[in-house]
Amino acid sequence: MATTTDTVRVTIDGIPISVPKGTLVIEAARRVGVMIPHFCYHPKLKPNANCRMCLVEVEKMPKLQTSCSTVATEGMSIRTATTVVHDAHKSVLEFILANHPLDCPVCDQGGKCDLQDFSHEYTATTSRFAETKRIFQKEYFSPLIETQMNRCVQCLRCVRYCDEVMDVKALAPVGRGTMTEIKSFAAHPLDCEFCGGCVQICPVGAITSRLSMYEYRPWMLKRADTVCTFCGDGCQLTVQTKDQTLIEVNSAQGTGRNNGDLCARGFFGFHATSHSGRITKPLIRRHGALVEVTWEDALLFVAEQITRLKLAHGPQAFGGLISGRCTNEELYLFQKFMRLTIGTNNLDSSARYGHVNGVQAMKRVQGTHRWTVTFEDIVQADVLLLVGTNITETNPITGLRVKEAVKKHDATLLTIEALQPAIGTISNITNLSQQHFSVAPAQFSAAVLGLLKAVVEETLIEGTLQQRASDYVLSISKAVQQLSWGELALSTGVSRESFVQMAASVAKGRRVVVLAGQTLLRSQGGYGICLNLLDLLLLTGKLTDSGCGFAPLAEENNDQGAVEMGAVAELLPNALDLTDQDARAQMARAWKEEVPLTPGATLLEMIDQAQTGTIKALFVVGENPVGSLPPQTRAKEALSKLEFLVCQELFLTETALLAHVVLPAASAMEKAGTVTNSEGHVQSVRPAINPVGDSRPDWEILSAFSVFLNAPLEYGDAKEILKEIRSVIPGYGSLGPTPIPPSVDRATVERYVTGGYRRDLATRYTLPARTGRPEGTVQLGLTQSLFHSGKLSTHSKGLLQIESSGFLQMGPLDAAKFGIATGDRVNLSNSRGECTTTVKVLDRVPEGLAWFPDHFAQEALQLFDCTIDPETKVPSYRTASVSVRKTT
Amino acid sequence: MSKHEPVLLKNMQRPGYTGSLQDYEQTGGYQALRKVIGKVPPAEVTTTVMKSGLRGRGGAGFPTGVKWGFLPKDYQGPRYLCCNADESEPGTFKDRQLIERDPHQILEGILLAAYAIGAESAYIYIRGEFVLGAKILESAIAEARIAGYIGANILGAGITVNVWVHRGAGAYICGEETALLESLEGKRGLPRVKPPFPATHGLYNKPTVVNNVETLANLPHIISRGSEWFSAIGSPPKSTGTRIFCVSGHVKRPGNYEVPMGVTFRELIYEEAGGMRSNKPLKAFIPGGASAPFLTPDSLDVKLDFESVAAAGSMLGSGGVTVMEEGTDMVWAALRLMEFFYHESCGKCSPCREGSSWLVQTMRRIVAKRGQMEDLETLVDLCKNIVGRTVCSFGDAEISPIMSTLKHWRPEYVRLIHEAEAANLIALKRPAGRP
Amino acid sequence: MKLIEKYKDEITEILSHYPVKRSALIPLLYLAQQDEGYVSEAAMKEIAQMLRLTPPQVYETATFYTMLNLKPVGKFHLQICKSLMCALVGSDTVIGWVKTKLGIGPGETTADRLFTLSTVECLAACGTAPMMQVNEDYYERLTEEKFDRILADLKKYGTCSLKTGPFMWPEPANAVNHDA
Ligand SMILES: Cc1cc2nc3c(=O)[nH]c(=O)nc-3n(C[C@H](O)[C@H](O)[C@H](O)COP(=O)(O)O)c2cc1C
Ligand code: SF4
Ligand code: FES
Repeated sequence: MATTTDTVRVTIDGIPISVPKGTLVIEAARRVGVMIPHFCYHPKLKPNANCRMCLVEVEKMPKLQTSCSTVATEGMSIRTATTVVHDAHKSVLEFILANHPLDCPVCDQGGKCDLQDFSHEYTATTSRFAETKRIFQKEYFSPLIETQMNRCVQCLRCVRYCDEVMDVKALAPVGRGTMTEIKSFAAHPLDCEFCGGCVQICPVGAITSRLSMYEYRPWMLKRADTVCTFCGDGCQLTVQTKDQTLIEVNSAQGTGRNNGDLCARGFFGFHATSHSGRITKPLIRRHGALVEVTWEDALLFVAEQITRLKLAHGPQAFGGLISGRCTNEELYLFQKFMRLTIGTNNLDSSARYGHVNGVQAMKRVQGTHRWTVTFEDIVQADVLLLVGTNITETNPITGLRVKEAVKKHDATLLTIEALQPAIGTISNITNLSQQHFSVAPAQFSAAVLGLLKAVVEETLIEGTLQQRASDYVLSISKAVQQLSWGELALSTGVSRESFVQMAASVAKGRRVVVLAGQTLLRSQGGYGICLNLLDLLLLTGKLTDSGCGFAPLAEENNDQGAVEMGAVAELLPNALDLTDQDARAQMARAWKEEVPLTPGATLLEMIDQAQTGTIKALFVVGENPVGSLPPQTRAKEALSKLEFLVCQELFLTETALLAHVVLPAASAMEKAGTVTNSEGHVQSVRPAINPVGDSRPDWEILSAFSVFLNAPLEYGDAKEILKEIRSVIPGYGSLGPTPIPPSVDRATVERYVTGGYRRDLATRYTLPARTGRPEGTVQLGLTQSLFHSGKLSTHSKGLLQIESSGFLQMGPLDAAKFGIATGDRVNLSNSRGECTTTVKVLDRVPEGLAWFPDHFAQEALQLFDCTIDPETKVPSYRTASVSVRKTT
Repeated sequence: MSKHEPVLLKNMQRPGYTGSLQDYEQTGGYQALRKVIGKVPPAEVTTTVMKSGLRGRGGAGFPTGVKWGFLPKDYQGPRYLCCNADESEPGTFKDRQLIERDPHQILEGILLAAYAIGAESAYIYIRGEFVLGAKILESAIAEARIAGYIGANILGAGITVNVWVHRGAGAYICGEETALLESLEGKRGLPRVKPPFPATHGLYNKPTVVNNVETLANLPHIISRGSEWFSAIGSPPKSTGTRIFCVSGHVKRPGNYEVPMGVTFRELIYEEAGGMRSNKPLKAFIPGGASAPFLTPDSLDVKLDFESVAAAGSMLGSGGVTVMEEGTDMVWAALRLMEFFYHESCGKCSPCREGSSWLVQTMRRIVAKRGQMEDLETLVDLCKNIVGRTVCSFGDAEISPIMSTLKHWRPEYVRLIHEAEAANLIALKRPAGRP
Repeated sequence: MKLIEKYKDEITEILSHYPVKRSALIPLLYLAQQDEGYVSEAAMKEIAQMLRLTPPQVYETATFYTMLNLKPVGKFHLQICKSLMCALVGSDTVIGWVKTKLGIGPGETTADRLFTLSTVECLAACGTAPMMQVNEDYYERLTEEKFDRILADLKKYGTCSLKTGPFMWPEPANAVNHDA
């Protein structure tokens, strides 16, 4: 009988089933509801078949087979429930238990332990093991992770996960035989990415989290499934609580966009919101000091001030800033409040710091403001081009998808980043790349232009485009011809051959995904580079192909949502242009009120207007411009001039300290709503605990303002707001496992290639200036650390144990030149200011550059100048030339 | 003197033979390579080896030509040959002699095998303790390279084979072929889960053949003299050729003896090795290295070939024959071997890892006269629970000493336990509180 | 001094044998051990860097193999085979000699740091048992008399002519007896 080639039929305990070719017996069994006991098997890992727990009978095979490593083949008949199999399971379990300390009463895994469960199932009575049990000396492992090696069943899941999935390789099985013990390096404590993967994947209590050690029994915990609010990856988290206390966070295999994988921020960072410094009561400035008041008083005061100022100066005297960490519901309500209740488009969100560059470029070239690819497409891609992203540290889970594509599916990885390939304790994506251009951020644009020039010169341009858009092709061809290979090599250090090789890889790919990170998005000219990368996809004919696309990575968890909710000056909900007549009309119908016409001021424009006194009142929701922007922008001075500054905050930030009213906001752990991740996937945030103190969700506060202002934007709960969002953005938030990515709008592309490209072509096809590097200086860059996200995470006790302060990362060559070693103190200075910090010498930092994490950059910020993109108004202050001097 | 004509050990028995390239060439060395390289198609070399009936000398006895035939025919990338010179099976010391005394014989075998399977790189994985052997091989390779036998364009035939010596670092398990490959890749020597087999996914995941030193040393002779010559020696059709048996223990002349397969243990022990060292009669012998079950004098007339030994309830294994005289404590002997297995279990899979530690501790207790009758049942049970359930056949091997001594000499175990019980009784009768 | 500076040529040669760097790990660990007498943490870190591995990857390999010493051992590392074949003909007695003559048991080192005793498993010299390996050299068919001479010579000359090899047992009728 003919069978289809891609499935095989097997029977499991007499139940027939068809499974895809290559399916493991253990998985086939799972499909018919037969759970085969196992320890070492894990669907994410390559079969290792070391525990021998999963033995089954396979017809015609003399020995029992490990179902975790046996591939189901046509006609195979498998038995899992015979006495022979049962006895085998029982005996393997007996072996595994032989040396186990049986200390379940004090084990944190108790109640969720595979060893316990199987023991229960196979009713191992009294053990026959009468010998002395192996005992490992207890060793200090790490401040966050506890090991109890006596409980280890040596399945090596932790070690394999650390290597195969994370590419970190921080765990070592040490010694051999029964004395094999999982350690790090020699007697040193664990030094790694602290993704928590080993804790999660350990089937027993051998590796546990110290943050929650001895604090609970699993059955006492209440769980809430929510989404991590640190970065744009949008990982699903399960938050476990006991009596309103956060106990631990994990993520189940198979769930969420992260498929159960997490990073240090997600796994160990949850304490940020239970920090003792939280604001718990509304505060009003009286005689210079912030004093606690009731909500009633605070709201009344806010309403009075708004009314007074509006009467005196009109709506354009107001501005608003909101954090991209807020929920969609809050972002939506915020812009509605600003536009309707106040009557101004002076509003912005943290998406302005960089994400807007990517969004605007996508809107302009491909119509949609979203990714046209998904995480799954990254995994399936055959060519991945990463530009300006140290993805492991900024978007670790998207990074895992890239690693998976390379390690499991042999995708070609191409990278353009300052990062040098080097082994370190944090995995480095460029170690996996086939071709890597180590280019300073200021020259990313040159590197992309090199690729475009190679595409043109090597005639890698897609055939039909030449006919469809000859003008476009010709203009770009002309533009790149102006650039000389010599100049390009000087700017980037990359030769013509290398550019040609990389361009050819892109052109050859069938599923090409270009990922652009914050180093690019926040760099000067970031918008232009995004456009040029889209040109690259367009020219090579990839833009419209399925599985191909341009994917800018969001820094904050809901930057994408902020844009889609219209929480930026120039965009209405659904990221429609404020100037778009139809869009305005549509909004007016939904809101039963006109949208103000006057274009709004963006982040830095509002600060300027505060400086000049045009803006007199500012609403700040979870944003901290004073702490984030370099002093050169004089944000502090500007905000101090305001007549009225309201902050909704978790903590008394630099900005909140200037406020007239500070209102305690509920954290993401304490409220409901939705957020939208980088790839545009909308997911639910659910409360795990009650709001701390008198804090309230930001949307509730905004809604309360409006009530007090007699222009009620009243909603019973976040769901009601979502309902309204759905009415203005059709289909929004259809929460599902895999979003169908929007596709490129062909009409927009048509408009782009027939003239739309022209207005800034000359500028973005010009090489950026090459700044010399005077003796004794380095180019200082602000970067993101894997262990922090914005400033929020610096309140997390777990993350602070890994990284408690900022330090200057410097490459070995420069370190030698300056006579500096790890741990030394250095003074950084330039005409704008100076600061002192500690150095860490890391192989991954290229010569001439030095990096400082922006989470701790308070002092370092003064060294930076700020430029503003003329079109997208995105501020850029990521690099500065500084002199380095060793101090004591 | 042996009445059998040696093949592999022949050269080195010549007076003054040093194993140098010159000596080796003078006795007809490298003629086999000259005969085939670039002249006879590789596939034909494989066919000759297949027809000779040569079976692996490393332990498992798999037909060598058949193994080579498993390599993918149309695979374009690199292929590798690994010479297994890890010789660590207790009781086995033949490869060491071949390496130290006649290295070129092995090198020629390696070159022939590499030619047959299309490998351009061959690694000799030699156990770390063989420092001298490694040095001898290194200099032999240097000689052969200068003479044009190794390297690019061998003998002008346009064939490249490079041979490297790679030292292990002390781990019996690295003799297991997939553990060997892991070790050669710089990793812990843990056996891989098979399938896939090395023939398709071997060193660096490329098609690979692993052959024992002695297996490879046979090749020049087979190629020179033809498969018929070889297959007529020994006990055809299944056990052809000679084998070097390593005789140790209580015999007069321990050492390596090369005899055609099919002679009896009696002949090997009493004629070749000179018989028992004292007047005590033979009590037990291990026919094929530590992994092979013990046999009793009843099996002395069993023929030394794969099938006969298997029929007698043991295996020919690596060819290490250890002889024990009357008076040897068999429980102690089993414990000694069990300690070896415990020490060498790599720890990858639970039954072997935990089982070996459990078995060794129980055995120690019994020998120390602290055993109980139930222990014997437990021993048997544990052994049964290990065999056939492990990643590699180390698990099957480690139970041999205990299972076979329990089978043949159970009373010795029982006696120790009875003594233990008696001692216990005395202890119990002692008034409390007094030593 | 760093290994890479001290043994540049050796390291280049070793690396040239393999298409994949990690394969050079054990050879480089040997080099480190030869240099310092044991494999130090600094050496493991340096080797990790050379091979683009993480230090734990080097460590896991180094700890698997018995011949790589992660701690310093005596100048002469006496490794006595205690497997069954040697035990049948007296290896335990040899271990006893060490105890009486040098005062050390397995795993111990003499106070003058000259000798470390290890018992090891079969070294493929069962036909010439009892035997021991001292550093790189084999000494076979040990008798108490020979043993005393070996210890004396080692102390005095750092080596002993009684070391054996190349292998030749049983000797051909007309060959000289190597251990005479
Ligand atoms: C635990 C174990 C140890 C082994 N040790 C050796 C060894 O030291 N030398 C060897 O040649 N084969 C050894 N083998 C056999 C090898 O796995 C493999 O079968 C052999 O190298 C194949 O070569 P052959 O076909 O030429 O015999 C061992 C096998 C096992 C399971
Ligand atoms: S049987 Fe023993 S030696 Fe073989 S893989 Fe399992 S633990 Fe390792
Ligand atoms: S789950 Fe199959 S052997 Fe461990």
